[in-house]
Amino acid sequence: MKRFLYILAGMMALCSSLAGCTQAPPDHTGLIEDVRSAEKMVFAQMAVTKTAKTSRTAWYKIGDRIAVYSYDTYLRGYIDLSELQPEDFVFDEDAKTVKIYLPPVQTELEGRDMTLREEYEHVDPLRSKIDSRERALLKEKANQSLHAELARNPMYRNTLTKNAERKARAYFENFFADQGYTASVEFKQQ
Amino acid sequence: MLRTIRFIAVALIVLVVAGVAVYFSLPKPKESIEVGEGKVTNLRTVAQLCTVDIYNEVPVLDTINNKVIFAIQKQQGSISFDMEHLRVDTIGDTLHVKLPREIISIYEATAPNSWEVIDTKAIGPLALLHNGKLSAAEENVVKRRLQARSKARLYRNGTVSRARTEASATLAQLLSHMYRRPVVVSP
Repeated sequence: MKRFLYILAGMMALCSSLAGCTQAPPDHTGLIEDVRSAEKMVFAQMAVTKTAKTSRTAWYKIGDRIAVYSYDTYLRGYIDLSELQPEDFVFDEDAKTVKIYLPPVQTELEGRDMTLREEYEHVDPLRSKIDSRERALLKEKANQSLHAELARNPMYRNTLTKNAERKARAYFENFFADQGYTASVEFKQQ
Repeated sequence: MLRTIRFIAVALIVLVVAGVAVYFSLPKPKESIEVGEGKVTNLRTVAQLCTVDIYNEVPVLDTINNKVIFAIQKQQGSISFDMEHLRVDTIGDTLHVKLPREIISIYEATAPNSWEVIDTKAIGPLALLHNGKLSAAEENVVKRRLQARSKARLYRNGTVSRARTEASATLAQLLSHMYRRPVVVSP
């Protein structure tokens, strides 16, 4: 009887593990899917790297458990083309010049890397491995920190705006130079 | 003999109970997360027309090395077109512009809890012998697959063709302001 129970338990364990192996293919139907129309002309992109370290210590724990990860978050500077009107291009045919009044450069967060770069990991044999939830928490903290930095430090947005303006100016000047016009670009105030 | 066995059994039970009591009375290990200041690692100028912004929330169920992960990810991205490599031909007084290939960017969103891990588990014949924790490298493989699937879905559900149509309309309007002659953009 005992042997029969052992065999039965063994078969059940085997069945459950086999069932785990033959899981249904993942269904990635979107929970929420939002596709919005945009009329943006992007002129500058910036990557900001955040590095975060996690460590867990206690006097009774033997060995170290440290990991350092990094990832990039992307920002972009753009002008909204829907704000552009025909009267924003003022041509002077005699002088072969054109004056362009562009909408102000706006900046936004484009997103962050899905993956994490493992910069360093030191987990001794008697310590538990770092799991996905911990890494998610670490990324969350880094994200909060970046948002706070962006709000506190205007350097990021100013640099992006300056570069976007420079590129937009060069882009439109070159474009009109090809048509035989000398272009001058001005940005409207926000 | 029986008394000795009884003594050992009682001692063992006492030891186990004491061990469990000590284990649960220990303070939790102190966890610390230190985040460094952000560093600008790349700054580049481009000229890209973006016609579609994407915001998704997707369930992620994947298996890697006999480990299963289930998570929910918020995604954000866009479909853009490189305006520096436009092919422009003039036929009569009309400009014919060929839209370049789309640039699809899919990222993890920067909204709170954009990567929420619900569960991980071990599967397979040796499931009982390991804890099912994914390494950073394994998680990265899962996320790369997810990114590829998300891009494929944009082609499948017509988002890319919609972006091309909208880009053609926007570009035609912009270029007609600039060239002051009829512009035809082929998506």
